[in-house]
Amino acid sequence: MLGRDVDLWLTAAALARALGGCGVRVEAVELASRLQPGDIAATLPPLEALHAKLGLGEAEVILETAGAFSLGQSFAPGSNRPPPFFHAWGSYGRPIEDIEFFHLWQRARRQGLAVPLQGFCLTAVAAQNGRMLVPDQTTYAFGRTDYGYHLHTAPYAALLKSLARAQGVRVHEAEHVDVERGGAEASIAALMLEGGRRLQADLFVDASGVDALLLGGAMAVPLHSWRRHLAPRSVLFARAPVFTSIPPFAEIRIGPDGWTALHPTRAATGIVHASDVGTSGTADIAAAATAAAGAELTDITLRRVEPGIRDAAWQGNCVGVGEAAAVFDPIHDVGLHALQLGLVHLLTLFPAGNDFTAERREYNRIMRSRCERIRDFQCALYALAPFAGPFWRRNRELQMPDTLRHKVDTFRARGHIAAMEDETFFADSWQVLFTGLGILPESLPPAVGRIPPRRLREEIDASLGRIHRKVLEQPRHDEYLARFCGGSPV
Amino acid sequence: MSGLSGSGTGSAPLRIVILGGGTAGWMCAAAFRRQLPAPDYDITLVESEEIGTVGVGEATLPSIKVFNDMLGIDEADFMRRTRATFKLGIEFRGWDRDGERYVHPFGAFGEPWGGVEFQHHWLRARLAGRACAPLQEYSLSVAAALSNVFEPPARDPKSIRSTYSYAYHFDAGLYAAYLRSWAVERGVRRVEGLVSEIRRHPERGDVMELTLRSGARVSGDFFVDCSGFRAVLLGRTLGVPWQDWTHWLPCDRALAVACRRADPLVPYTRLTARSAGWVWRIPLQHRTGNGYVFSSRFIDDDQAASSLLGGLEAAPIGEPRLLRFAAGRRERAWSGNCVAVGLASGFLEPLESTSIYLIQAAVTDLIHLMPDRRAGGIDPRLAAEFNRLNDWQYERIRDFLVLHYTANRRFGEPLWDAVRAMALPESLHQKLEMFRSRGALPHYEYGLFSRDSWLAVLAGQGVMPEGYDRSADGLPLDAIEQRLAEFHARIRGAVAGMALHGEYVDRHCAASEAGSLAGAVV
Repeated sequence: MLGRDVDLWLTAAALARALGGCGVRVEAVELASRLQPGDIAATLPPLEALHAKLGLGEAEVILETAGAFSLGQSFAPGSNRPPPFFHAWGSYGRPIEDIEFFHLWQRARRQGLAVPLQGFCLTAVAAQNGRMLVPDQTTYAFGRTDYGYHLHTAPYAALLKSLARAQGVRVHEAEHVDVERGGAEASIAALMLEGGRRLQADLFVDASGVDALLLGGAMAVPLHSWRRHLAPRSVLFARAPVFTSIPPFAEIRIGPDGWTALHPTRAATGIVHASDVGTSGTADIAAAATAAAGAELTDITLRRVEPGIRDAAWQGNCVGVGEAAAVFDPIHDVGLHALQLGLVHLLTLFPAGNDFTAERREYNRIMRSRCERIRDFQCALYALAPFAGPFWRRNRELQMPDTLRHKVDTFRARGHIAAMEDETFFADSWQVLFTGLGILPESLPPAVGRIPPRRLREEIDASLGRIHRKVLEQPRHDEYLARFCGGSPV
Repeated sequence: MSGLSGSGTGSAPLRIVILGGGTAGWMCAAAFRRQLPAPDYDITLVESEEIGTVGVGEATLPSIKVFNDMLGIDEADFMRRTRATFKLGIEFRGWDRDGERYVHPFGAFGEPWGGVEFQHHWLRARLAGRACAPLQEYSLSVAAALSNVFEPPARDPKSIRSTYSYAYHFDAGLYAAYLRSWAVERGVRRVEGLVSEIRRHPERGDVMELTLRSGARVSGDFFVDCSGFRAVLLGRTLGVPWQDWTHWLPCDRALAVACRRADPLVPYTRLTARSAGWVWRIPLQHRTGNGYVFSSRFIDDDQAASSLLGGLEAAPIGEPRLLRFAAGRRERAWSGNCVAVGLASGFLEPLESTSIYLIQAAVTDLIHLMPDRRAGGIDPRLAAEFNRLNDWQYERIRDFLVLHYTANRRFGEPLWDAVRAMALPESLHQKLEMFRSRGALPHYEYGLFSRDSWLAVLAGQGVMPEGYDRSADGLPLDAIEQRLAEFHARIRGAVAGMALHGEYVDRHCAASEAGSLAGAVV
């Protein structure tokens, strides 16, 4: 594998762990790091399972990376129009007599219920009360409860690198790499490093990020732009001071010219500020980000992001993962998750012999499907957000992919989320997003009428009471972090 | 968005008219009545005793229990009234080669070890020449089926007895009658008669009213076409085109005949391959249902009848009935203010007992997407979603059925040679390649079929993988060999403790003679 930083080391650690015992030799070519000291990553809940497979303990991760927990994402529009909403890593309400809670909430809302949807989500309520929510037997009764992390990327990459080395991965450092083609299907025969080093392999993994040196470069697989659906962005990354009390969630502040995400960790607060390309100069962007963050920013870097997907993630004997295969918008922090998906599916389809035509075709099919579903979730925000400002107005004019249009149509008609395979986000997430953006279904599933209004009111009151009591049982985030990290200072 | 016919106010109930009885019509009627609030929905079903319904002794899938539970139906009562037996799976005889057989069970094969699926461990052991039994022997429900035993699965997820489920064989006509009683008792209006005229809205084209031969008129806002092959509404009236699938599924006839019950009462459907198609055997409490599904390209009706009658294990009851059909589906099941459910929406031969499943899936989706008078009535966006889900179901099942035909080694028989050589749907081709390459199975979150089902049929039809998922190598082969032996023994042990199917049925839900008379009266 060729690449740098988290992309390279997560790939190396995951492949070595899974395949080392099966006679597969794993070697890594490390290019110069591009990590900035301020880089902070937000992760999605499934990463925890991958860490477990790697034998990476959660406490170790949190400790080493000055990490904190994240129960979801709070969207805070300027002037509270529409009201803020919370996209939690957990489910919203429980069904009553097989009727989905969301529809019952819609009905109650029509009848005057003022409690927002997130009021019925244990995860959201915990987050908004500064509590950590640790899933266990008792929380299971409230539905799905989950969490991600906010962590410093540099120590995370270092952690993964030492894990990979411990798994027996041979590491070669290089400034520059040439590619020797050859063999069947014009594959890659070897990588040529400085000093006459030649690395031959049967399969090459491109973890070089947007550069896509192998997949895009050597194999010349075109990048299909998604600019019809997701506009190119100017993204500013920076660090702000640490919160005195660390919120257990990400906050996305909506402004007229873009959005600003805050990712609190124990050492600093990560800032991601997204705006449209070409609308402002660097100084203005920095000023806007500072204003939105409400704090002084350090370690500022600016990057241009062009969402798109390679025509094939796996060509010949070269597999691209992470941004080498697909580039997403920075919203919802999906980058690391997309990398994880690429690795998980590669392991499931790892060649069992010399002919891997079937595996390659299946990998491309499933990764495309996965990426398009993520793209749709991201596009939904921009296509539907009613927020004021030139950024939002321009982005509303972009085209929705057909699959998303169908989802939106079905939701508008009935509050129903059209089920599709290979989704990353649960139906709850879609419902929360649409509702948060102010979309109301025009009708409800008729079965909703079976629940007498009084019964619904009672269930709602009972539910709110249960959530309230459960939240009070949870530890405060700061307290939990202190316990978790053995009280050690950052 | 279409408006609604009639001049009802916003508070008037939406009038649903179901055209056709049988399992499709009465499953719709009962489910609608159960799920839709009575003040908001009026349900009328129009059927004619003169039109025979297709039901020829039907096998089902485990999801039927969910349907019955939704209606609050007691299992023993329903089984008595419909003469039902239990079904643990389907035995396929001679589908790969003559003299061989396999069972497609409702249950798991083996269990995952080290996070790797069972078939990879089994393949690895086999390729390494280690002692291991045929794959079929690692399924509890296969073992139970072939030993003619039955017990309901255990609830404890740690027990090997929790790794399967079951369905039923029943008389579909009696099931329809059972649901009819249920529905009519709860306010569904039944109108007897044959439709002679259909009145449509002059501009919008919506169906507005059915006139019967008797002169009676039935108006409605939303029509459900359960008229079977005739597809009176979607086909004849609205002219929705038919998408033909006979190039993949060439069988176009069936001859059905019942015969006297022959013991032991087996807990599975048997499908036996024949030269021009296949013969089904469905065991019911009071008789056995048989049928020859064949392609008229390769055999004529008389030859088929001889073959069917010649192979019966007991005396036939009555004359064989001939049915003609074509594999395929209507391009859109929901068009305008009409939706087709059951045979009116499409036909796939009963190879994997999917007819009633498709009805249930359509009914479930329809209830969720049902027009709402207060929101303006028929919404094409909801029709589009219904059609999308319907497409999905049909295509998945089609692929699975085609697999049974295409992967065969019945060389020299024209039908089987033809289906072996035909070009396959790309979606199926890819699945075959993946299994051949490394024993990988398709995985879906929605709809049919499960991974274990694909494994049963792929392996049963003789598709042998060349490799396996090498992450299975993580465990030592000795350990795998031992685990295989232990698992095999656990299955034998579990089966040994189960009651004979016939006895279980007698104890649990045997239809009495008096009961059978009562059940026949509506």
